[in-house]
Amino acid sequence: MNKMSAAISTSAIKSFLATVTVVSCLAMSAGQLTAASSTNGGSGPAVGEAARAAQPLVTETILNADDSSEVFARASAARAALGFPPGSKSAGRHVHDGLQNSDYDEVTEVDAAGQTIAMAQFDAAGRLLAALRFDSPSGSAPAVTGDAAAKTAQRGLAASGVAVSGQARVDLNPTAGGWDVHWERSQDGFAVRGDETRVHVWQDGRIQSVARVEHPLAAAPTRRLGQADAQQAVIRQVDKWFAGKDHGYAVGGLDLEWVGPNAGFDSSKVGTAPAPYRLAWVANVKPSGSASTYVRLITLYVDAGDGTVIGGDIVE
Amino acid sequence: MKRAETLLVSVLLAVSALGATAQGAFALTGDVWSNSDSFSSRCLGFTDTYPQQLYTLATSQMALLGYKPIAGALGSSFTRSAFLKNVFYDYAVYAHTHGDNYWAASGWPNVDSAILQDPGPARCSNFSLDAIRSSAIKAATLGTPYNLVIMSTCSLGSSSSTMPDAFQIQKTKASTQRKFYLGYATETYDSSALRFERAFWSYLNGAPNHVRTLSQAFTYAVSIGGYAAPDSANPFQPNWWGSPTYNGTPG
Repeated sequence: MNKMSAAISTSAIKSFLATVTVVSCLAMSAGQLTAASSTNGGSGPAVGEAARAAQPLVTETILNADDSSEVFARASAARAALGFPPGSKSAGRHVHDGLQNSDYDEVTEVDAAGQTIAMAQFDAAGRLLAALRFDSPSGSAPAVTGDAAAKTAQRGLAASGVAVSGQARVDLNPTAGGWDVHWERSQDGFAVRGDETRVHVWQDGRIQSVARVEHPLAAAPTRRLGQADAQQAVIRQVDKWFAGKDHGYAVGGLDLEWVGPNAGFDSSKVGTAPAPYRLAWVANVKPSGSASTYVRLITLYVDAGDGTVIGGDIVE
Repeated sequence: MKRAETLLVSVLLAVSALGATAQGAFALTGDVWSNSDSFSSRCLGFTDTYPQQLYTLATSQMALLGYKPIAGALGSSFTRSAFLKNVFYDYAVYAHTHGDNYWAASGWPNVDSAILQDPGPARCSNFSLDAIRSSAIKAATLGTPYNLVIMSTCSLGSSSSTMPDAFQIQKTKASTQRKFYLGYATETYDSSALRFERAFWSYLNGAPNHVRTLSQAFTYAVSIGGYAAPDSANPFQPNWWGSPTYNGTPG
């Protein structure tokens, strides 16, 4: 179905059925017609305007190959190293991404039909942030093993100048197919939560994407809270939260990690600039009782220096 | 005979006039719903800010795609009755709340996925009071098509989810129709959903004239990595079904 006929289909079906519904209402009672029209859709809560005004924007500046030749050269080298398809032309832009709180240079490969087939993003220092291709894997090639995928990922990273160390974690990707190969970042022996170099390898053995996530870190605390003290800090906090409620809870793992302070439990911090990651005790709290109906997990970040809760996460 | 002709003309005029009214009144509505009372200080002892952040993001970005008006609600107006009353007229639906694949009324092995409505200001969530079942949604849609459905919940992007079918979206990544369903397959941290959805919308709406497709935006958002997960049994795993070439605009 082409775009136009599909558009007609969606609008026409909805319009037709809306009309039938309204006529049915009219047949039963003229008074109900007014109610149906005003209750459904048209008078829904007018809630979107303020939210729209508050959202940061994504803005771009076009980069041309003459003035930004180094950006295009980096993109071309990454594309070749990762085995991505060349386009019939390349287009560059500098992006200020207010939604993701980042600035980057981006080069896309566009085919003869004008479709984007691959892209690469670089930070201000020219380091690769992400590179990916948008086409599809071959359905006929034999599927590669996880070990083979890890070797392919390592070769691709080396060729594109992205350094990794340590053992990769290789996960089967059941929704996209193929393998996700991760090198998780650590500092001073502690994991940096979410930071990683990630390569997705299609089941046909070709690299589909590479990404590098690396947040700035604050200095480690000079005196570090012990695990028992951290556990007590968590218990004090959750007892305070759950006081007077019929919720129980169990504290699961308690590990030191570098984490991003966030606005998860503190609305005054929503919209503030991201702070450097801090060393924190990360505690998983599993609610029981009535709260377990709608909250599966609460994760707290307890600053390893001063014992304050600096953010966290929730699984609803 | 004359009486019959008069009746027929009257009905046609009524259908024509009301059809125009319906189109004008219902426009290209996108509903954005987010449950915040379950995750309020009253129910948890702290205010979880993710429902507000995800709601704000979705309302602004769906408007950029051309859905108008953006209706729905953050908080207590997100009720089962409001959701089911509005859904028929929607072109796009977004929901951020607790979601899961529950056994159907007929029992195992049949699944009837559900999301929870906002419980309102007087109580906290209760499945039997708050569930909006996919079967109820499907009945309320009367079989009408939907352009964009995003279930920003746990589990409703898994292969066992019945939520896509509630909106007449088949579990294929090769649809030729202008439809797209996005959900998360596993238990998902809100911070990961926020990171993913920011990247998704940023890529989709980051170029003029809606030249990018939803599947490209999905691929980009997955590919940037950096997603925390609750445990190894629940890796961060968004999923989609629908058209690989659809740009997300309404109609």
